[in-house]
Order: sequence, then structure tokens, then C-alpha cells
Amino acid sequence: MRFVDEFRDAQLGQVLATEILGAVEAGRHYKVMEVCGGHTHSIYKYGVDDLLPANVELVHGPGCPVCVIPMGRVDDGIAIAEEPGVIFTCFGDMMRVPGSRGSLLEAKARGADIRMVYSPLDALRIAKQNPEREVVFFAIGFETTAPSTALTVKRARAEGVRNFSCMCNHVTIVPPLRALLDSPDLRLDGFIGPGHVSTVVGARPFEFIPADYGKPVVIAGFEPLDILHAIRMILAQLSDGRCEVENQYKRVVPWEGNPRALEAMAEVFELRPHFEWRGLGFISQSGLKLSDAYAEQDAELRFSVPGVRVADPKACQCGEVLKGVIKPWECKVFGTACTPERPIGTCMVSSEGACAAYYNFGRFAREKEVV
Amino acid sequence: MTLECHSDHCITCADEGTPMTVLRIDEDRMLALCADDEGEKSSIEIALVDVRAGDSVLVHAGVALTRLDAGSADLGGAQPR
Repeated sequence: MRFVDEFRDAQLGQVLATEILGAVEAGRHYKVMEVCGGHTHSIYKYGVDDLLPANVELVHGPGCPVCVIPMGRVDDGIAIAEEPGVIFTCFGDMMRVPGSRGSLLEAKARGADIRMVYSPLDALRIAKQNPEREVVFFAIGFETTAPSTALTVKRARAEGVRNFSCMCNHVTIVPPLRALLDSPDLRLDGFIGPGHVSTVVGARPFEFIPADYGKPVVIAGFEPLDILHAIRMILAQLSDGRCEVENQYKRVVPWEGNPRALEAMAEVFELRPHFEWRGLGFISQSGLKLSDAYAEQDAELRFSVPGVRVADPKACQCGEVLKGVIKPWECKVFGTACTPERPIGTCMVSSEGACAAYYNFGRFAREKEVV
Repeated sequence: MTLECHSDHCITCADEGTPMTVLRIDEDRMLALCADDEGEKSSIEIALVDVRAGDSVLVHAGVALTRLDAGSADLGGAQPR
């Protein structure tokens, strides 16, 4: 596939791996966080981790929206889905996320009309095909996905589709990064920045990381060579004593992002005062809701939702995994009580979740040569 | 209908982006018929990018986020073939 295959070349991967090996200082341990779940998935799918020296440790960040959705929001979604006459639509992975009374998939089995869609546009199409029913789209995702929801909400209004509404769970990437950087139990040397989020927001929002915290950021693509290249760029910054935002993914990410997407988001959404993140707690100004101008399309205003906060299951250590404090296999229930088939924690649900990536690609503790 | 996403990526988790080729454009509705590498076609929202038939775009959740430019691949010393 064009734009893809050329970035999976094994020989070039070896070249980059050798350069990385040459760039590390003996005796120094490097902790690099890949912010995005898409990177976590690629790292384990392609074995990028195996090409790195043992003193370059990848820490998996919170950039998987399914993984950070708290149980209470799933319960709220199920409450709407079980209202008479509602068709509830959401992306596939979201259906398996456990709430306190089970998942959306289990609610579907009990009789709720819950349908998987591939885009909010699909949900709008269902609304047009079923004018006598209320169609609700469970919107979730970072800034990559939020423009899609914004455009669909605008389109629904423009086309006069009044039976379409949206339960907004969109989150923004900068506040959790700042929360992580302020966290005393995590020492990081640099960040692999989120590629497609940056397509929308650009590189500028990450400038606070070098400016305020003195850490390098390299925005990277999702193919194995992209990730290796980004790691090499981070190591080069560290060895040169530089810290700045660099863009490895120039073929996709413009420095300024996509102004039209930002404009659509600014029109349709506004920041919530705070939003709960699984494992990270409440983070101020980190979640989006529909703006007053689009309030009539807000499913949380159209339907009654319990809005009850539910504590995470005690056995689940998703919070520590999301903060990179423990590796997935160090969780008490990893691969035993918690598997992709019967997940307890959200990190095991999504294929982008760190636990699922470890589980599916057989990555457990392994001895590596220390440089 | 399967309840899993087609690809091995989770759409929600976002950072999935699929390169697609623009086949036909409906300017009035800001939609384009696009095909992925395997020829599967779908309607894609194109309000965020200026595209013409034949262009390659990066698609996420039904929206073209950016146009792909074949000339800008750069891996430093290591060059993709």
C-alpha cells in the first residue's frame, strides 16, 4: 500500500536500530512515552521494542480514548440506549467496555437497539432512515475524531435531521499530558507525540513540554520506521542537550494543524470545566461538550442520564498502566481474570490499549542486553 | 454484522488513519466517493481539505483530515524505497 509499505522496510529498520544503538549513552536509562495508543499497537505488532537496546524503555501513555473512559459514562450511555425508541450508535470497541451494569454489548443482548458504526456520518444516515426513532451517537476520541463529530452535528442541523443527537465524550490531549508531567512518580526523558491528533491541532500545542518541562517531543507516524526514526530523533535531542518539538510525520502533519477542523470544533464544542479520566481522576478542561449553540443536539440534555461516578474495580490497575507506572503484565489480573474476551479494565478492551497490545502480541517481561 | 472493527486498529483510538484515493466529488454536499487500497469504496466528508479526483487523502472516522503528499517522506539518513 502506498504511503504505508515503504515505512515497513526491514533493512531500513535495522539501519535505524543500529543508529539508535550508537546514540545511547552507556549506563544511562531512557524512558520515552508514546502518547498515543496507535503507537503502542504498532510497537508490539511490528516488534519495534525488540530492536531497541534494553536501556531505551518505552512507556505507554494515555492516548487511547476507550481506555480512559470511566465506568460512569458507560452507564450513562446504557441508560440512554435503554430509553424506548432509541437507536444508540457507537464505534465497535466501545461496545465491550464494562460499566457497572455490564457493557453496551450486554445491554444490546438484553434488547436495547445498539448499533456499531464506522463514522458519525453512518449514525446520521441511520437517523435519516428512521425518522420516527431517536438516534444517539456516542462520540468518543481525541482531537482526531472530534472534527468528524463536529461536522456531523453541523450537517444534521443543516439537513434538518432533528432525531439525531450526540452524547459527547471527546477529550483533549494536552491536559492529561500536563497531569502526567506533574505526576511525581513518573520520570520521563521524552515523548513520541501523537501523529493524527497533530494533523488536527498541529505541533504548537506541544511546545509547553520543552518550554515548561524541558523534555523533547517528536511527533511521529505509525509505521515501524516512523517510530524508530522518532526515537532516534529524541535520542539525538538528548545527546545534543536540545529540547524542542520536532515533526517526524511531515508527510501528514502540518505544523499549524488543520484550521478548518479547529474552526468546526470551536463552533460545535466547548470545554467542560472538568472530565473524569479512568485511572487519572478528574482533569480540568480536558473534556468537550456540545456548545450552547448546539445544545438541542446534546443527548445528555435530551435524555435523562444518571451521571453517577463509579469507582474502578479494585483488582484493575489500568490507572497505573495508563500512567506508565507499571507494565501491563505486572497487573494482578493481566491475562488471567482480565483478557480481551472478558476484560475487567479498559486497557484490555481496545486493540490500542496497552494491555491488549501486550496480550495479543505475546509481549511479556524479557531479558535484553543492556548497553 | 461483526462487532469488531474491520481492521486490526480501533477506530476510536484514534489515531487510525487510512490512506484513500478520491474517485468522485459531490461539491454540493462536501462528500467524496473514495476507495481504499483494497478497492472498498465509501462516502467521505471533505469539508476540511481541498481535494480533486485522483488525490490521496488520510481518512479518519469518515473524514478526510489531510491530503497525502508522496514527496515529503523523510527518515533522515535512512530513506524509504
